[in-house]
Amino acid sequence: MAGHMKTDLPAHRNIFRMIAAPTVWAIHFLLVYCTAALWCARDWGSIGALQAVIFGYTAVCLILVGILGWQMWRQWDYFDDNDYIHDQSTDEHRREFLGHAGFMLACLSFVAIIFDTMPAIFAATCQ
Amino acid sequence: MLSAQDLPQPFDRKLAHALPLRPGTDHLKAAPALAAFGFLTACVGPQSALDPAGRDAETLADLFFWLVAGAVVLWVLMNGLMFYAWRAKPRPISPKTGRWLIFGGGIVFPTVVLAGLLSYGLSVIPDQRAPGEGLRVEITGEQWWFRVAYWPEGATEPIHSANEVVFPVGQRSELTLKADQVIHSFWLPSLAGKTDMIPGRVNRMSLEPTEPGEFRGQCAEYCGESHAWMAFTALTLMPEEFDAFLQDLAAPAVPPDTEVGQAGRTAFMAHGCGGCHTIRGTPARGNVGPDLTHVGSRLNLAAGALDVTVPDLAAWITDPKAIKAGAKMPAYDHLDPDEIVAMAVYLEGLK
Repeated sequence: MAGHMKTDLPAHRNIFRMIAAPTVWAIHFLLVYCTAALWCARDWGSIGALQAVIFGYTAVCLILVGILGWQMWRQWDYFDDNDYIHDQSTDEHRREFLGHAGFMLACLSFVAIIFDTMPAIFAATCQ
Repeated sequence: MLSAQDLPQPFDRKLAHALPLRPGTDHLKAAPALAAFGFLTACVGPQSALDPAGRDAETLADLFFWLVAGAVVLWVLMNGLMFYAWRAKPRPISPKTGRWLIFGGGIVFPTVVLAGLLSYGLSVIPDQRAPGEGLRVEITGEQWWFRVAYWPEGATEPIHSANEVVFPVGQRSELTLKADQVIHSFWLPSLAGKTDMIPGRVNRMSLEPTEPGEFRGQCAEYCGESHAWMAFTALTLMPEEFDAFLQDLAAPAVPPDTEVGQAGRTAFMAHGCGGCHTIRGTPARGNVGPDLTHVGSRLNLAAGALDVTVPDLAAWITDPKAIKAGAKMPAYDHLDPDEIVAMAVYLEGLK
C-alpha cells in the first residue's frame, strides 16, 4: 500500500507534536484566567474590552489548533489506507498512531478552547 | 455539670419530635413510615436549596432539577441502548455503523449536550451577582458566629447585630462578606447560593427573597472545632415590617424593669462583660463578642446552638465551651448561680 512507501521524517516520530494542541489549550486557559483576574483586580478597562481580548486569544489559539490538527490528520493519513488500528512496531504504524492520537487531541482541544471562552460570553462580569 | 447533650438543640429537637420513631417502638414496623417521611420531607424545610424562597435559590433549584432530569434521561437512554443491544435485539452491526455510533454518540452528542448545559449554567451567574437595591448587609465570619452590620441606603454608620440576618421581601439586598482569622462560607440555601468569607478580602453577593419566612443558614467551610455549631437565622419580612424592624434594632436597649433584671444588669457590668460585648445605651462597649443590644428578641443564641431562653443563656454564661468546643468566651462558673440567672434574665429581657 502507498502508506508503506512514505518517508518517515523526524517530525513524524516527535511525540511532542501529538501534545502540542492540548498545550495550546492549557496556555489559552491560563491566559484567559490571568487576564480576567488582572483586568478585574486592576480595573484595566471595560468588560467589553476584556471580552475582545479573550476572543482574540481564542481566535489565535483556534487557528493554531486547527493547523496542528490538520498536520496530524495528514500524518494519520486515514484516507490513504483507512487504517485506524496501529498495533505494529513499524514506522508506518508509529507515524499513523501519533497522527491519529494527535488529531483527536486537537479536536478535543478545539472544543475545550471554545468552552474556555464561554464564561466570557455568558457570564461577563467581574463580580 | 452541664454538658452539650443536656442542652436543647433547636433544630435536631424539632426533627426528633416530628419523627414517627419513638423509644420502644418496633423499629422494623416503623421503618417504611420513616423512609416515606424521609422522602416527603427531605426537600422542604428552613434550610433546603430545593425549597426556594428567593429568586437566586429558585434559579439554583431550576438548575438542579434540569441537571437531574437530564441525567435521568441519559441514564434511561444508555441503559435502554444496552438492553436493546444485549437482550432485545442481539445482532451484530456493521463496523461502519459502529464507527458512526461511536462518533455520534461518543463525541458529537456529549459535546453538544455539554455546550448546552455550560451555556445555561454560565448564563445564570450574572443574575446571582446583580447589584443590590438599597440595603447592604455586612456579614463577618468569626470563630464561631456571624457578626452582622446593616447599612440601609444612605446610612453613615451601621446597625449592629449578630447571628441573625433580616432581609426585606421583594428587594435585592447586597451582602458584603468578610472573615476574621480563618475562612468561612456564607450559605443560606433557601434564599441564595454560597459565597466564601475570606480574611483580608471582601466578597460580595446579593439576594432577593420572594416570600416572608424564617430560614436557617450555616457556615459551609470548615473553620475549626465548632464549625458545625456556626449557624444563623435569616428572617424575611415585608418591606414595611422590615423598616420597623430596622428602626427597633437601631434603638438602644430597653432593659427589663424587674428587680432580677436590674440585678442582672448590675452583675453584667460588674463582671466586665462589657469588655467584649456591646449593649447600646449602657457602658458596655466591647467589640470582641457579639453585640447583645437586642439579644432577647433574636431567634437563636450562640450561632444557632441554643434558644434565647433564661436556662439556655444561664447555661452559656456558666460554661460556653461545654456547648461549643473552643468558644472564645471564658466560663463564669465561679459566679453565684443566682447571679448567672439574673444576668440571663437581664439578657433575655433585652428586646
